[in-house]
Amino acid sequence: MSVIRNAKATPGQPLIELHHVSKRFAMHRERHRSFQESFIRIFRKSHTAQDEFWPLRDVSITIYPGDCIGIIGRNGSGKSTLLKMISGILPPTSGDLTVSGRISALLELGAGFHPDLTGRENVYLNGSIYGISRQKMSQIIDKIIDYAELGDFIDTPIKHYSSGMYVRLGFAVAIHTEPDLMLVDEVLAVGDAAFQRKCMDSIQLYRRQGGTLLLVSHDLGAIQAICNRVLWIEDGVIQAEGHPTDVMMSYQRYYAELEEARQLAHQDPQDDSEKSSKQRWGTGQIRVTKVELCDAKGEAHINFRTGDPMTVRLHYEAKGAIEEPIFGLAIHHQQGTHICGPNTKFGGLTLPLVEGSGIISYVIPSLALLAGGYLLSIAVINQNNTETFDYHDRTITFHVYPGDSQEQYGLVTLNGVWQREFDPILTPPVTEKYYAR
Amino acid sequence: MLANHNIPTKPMRQTPVMFQRLQELVRYRELVRNLVVSELKARYKASVLGFVWSLLNPLAMMLVFTVVFSFLLTDKNRVEKYPLFLLCGLLPWNYFTAAVMGSVQSVVGNANLVKKVYFPREALPIAGVLAQLVNFLLAFIVLFAALLIFRAHFSPWLWLLPLVILIQTCFALGIAFILSTLNVFYRDTMMIMDVIMLAWFFLTPVVYSAEAFPRAYQLLGYIVDVRRWAYILNPMASLINMYRDLLFLGSRTDLDFFLRTTITALVVLIFGYWFFIRYSDRFGEEL
Repeated sequence: MSVIRNAKATPGQPLIELHHVSKRFAMHRERHRSFQESFIRIFRKSHTAQDEFWPLRDVSITIYPGDCIGIIGRNGSGKSTLLKMISGILPPTSGDLTVSGRISALLELGAGFHPDLTGRENVYLNGSIYGISRQKMSQIIDKIIDYAELGDFIDTPIKHYSSGMYVRLGFAVAIHTEPDLMLVDEVLAVGDAAFQRKCMDSIQLYRRQGGTLLLVSHDLGAIQAICNRVLWIEDGVIQAEGHPTDVMMSYQRYYAELEEARQLAHQDPQDDSEKSSKQRWGTGQIRVTKVELCDAKGEAHINFRTGDPMTVRLHYEAKGAIEEPIFGLAIHHQQGTHICGPNTKFGGLTLPLVEGSGIISYVIPSLALLAGGYLLSIAVINQNNTETFDYHDRTITFHVYPGDSQEQYGLVTLNGVWQREFDPILTPPVTEKYYAR
Repeated sequence: MLANHNIPTKPMRQTPVMFQRLQELVRYRELVRNLVVSELKARYKASVLGFVWSLLNPLAMMLVFTVVFSFLLTDKNRVEKYPLFLLCGLLPWNYFTAAVMGSVQSVVGNANLVKKVYFPREALPIAGVLAQLVNFLLAFIVLFAALLIFRAHFSPWLWLLPLVILIQTCFALGIAFILSTLNVFYRDTMMIMDVIMLAWFFLTPVVYSAEAFPRAYQLLGYIVDVRRWAYILNPMASLINMYRDLLFLGSRTDLDFFLRTTITALVVLIFGYWFFIRYSDRFGEEL
């Protein structure tokens, strides 16, 4: 194990290098914190088994100046431990760690602040924790106070601050001290929307000026917007690393599959007939016994991505012969909005006579729904809509995850194409600059 | 004394580490300064009299001890100009106690800093001791006022005083390093130190004169010079004696004691620092 920390970054050299770094925590069942307990333990000879826990295993990464790395993963996957090791709070158990340059770390709310001191005094204290001289801090303190939007509160002891004020002050100091490397762990989520936007703008500016950033966030959109690389950590192991879109796609696919497996395992096979009458009604002359949502290969899923093909297959059983029934379905967003309601009649499919059992399917070539949870209803009615044979009211749930589509707003994508049109009269002559690329 | 030479040189790979850490500490001197300031500010923040307490406190203690001991001390043990005599011992002792007891908690008490941000952890005990040093220096206002009132003799040896203060600070810092580390792993350190400091107080000639120790005492058939051994075994006894020599008696101090105390203080400091940086990596996860 070796840890090397250089105060100054060497141009062209990596800022951070981790070679096969692992971290172990001993999980004491009981913590022997006092002499008394240790003393008793000697006599008892009970070897309290110390459970080991490895928040990080064999992590190797190299981060160059100017990189902006987003770190994603579930809670407890080891993201924060990684940042703490890079910042120097925790030593690695094994492996080599080299860190160069000055670091600002926003790992927790109000870290590095003294509650009894005023905001202004804490700015100096925080600055010196980042290794900035008092003289330098005096030059930038006005900018910091201005940025943090604290007004008169700057001369109030910070124990009276709200959590939003903590974050604003902490971020303001961190960004204004112009570190070589900035570590941000999810704290920005505390600020209000306006401040978050401001943070994002500052981070973009910091990046353009050549700053390096490690950002832990659950906000995949934010990561996609700023980061040039993404690191996905799961159970202390790097699962994927690389281009944001690629890593996030595999991350989301992994969770979609996990979720699917979980839901399929919980699904009761007899669910169908046991539905409460509130969600299921009808005369029962035709019953939809099974609903499958299939992908292009015909395999049933409950998770899809925007743009995927999807086929809804309705398995039915009819008592006797029914003339010209109509099969239909409805899709609701989980928050209630009714999105669409196609049926066989609208679709131009006439079923002259239905007898026994069979399958009716609705084929969607490309799913237009954006990411979210959706509910599916099924209805079988007679030709004149006077009799309901079977009705499943929002009994089937499925999820849509972002696919290749970058759209985020609203519920559906219209699959439109953006173009720029040149009006020969209104548009000034296009300079060569536009075609330089 | 032989063992003392081993400590800085024995672990060959530790020496460069210690050197690196010292360099880092120098880079973070601004932080130490800020921690001292914030500690002083935080201490007096909610008090009406503020830093005046640094002056009032020794005065009040002087009063208490003078009253009590004017009843207790027999004529044989009575000391001339007792309030001044007391103050010369009590101030350095108070500095020592406050520095040690304050810095025992310095790492544990700043757990939220240690767990969440990186900085050289030694800044905490150092700041704890230095904050007390500032207090101690303020209290010298009281002491010099008392010296004038009692018309004490200002000797040319007074220039040694800063050196004595430096030696005491090194000694206190070394102990602070060791205890603040221990306290992270065993919180009992604090409780035990309460008792130890009380015993240490009475074993050190602070409220009484070292003259009370017999020069020759029969112990298991040997003649023991208790006074000499009290000085050798207790660096604080030597230190307080030095303060008394310089301030109260206005004489020069013993070179023999002076050198021995210097060496002891440096050894404690270097060992303490080595001990501290050896375990300080683990503070983040132990707290």
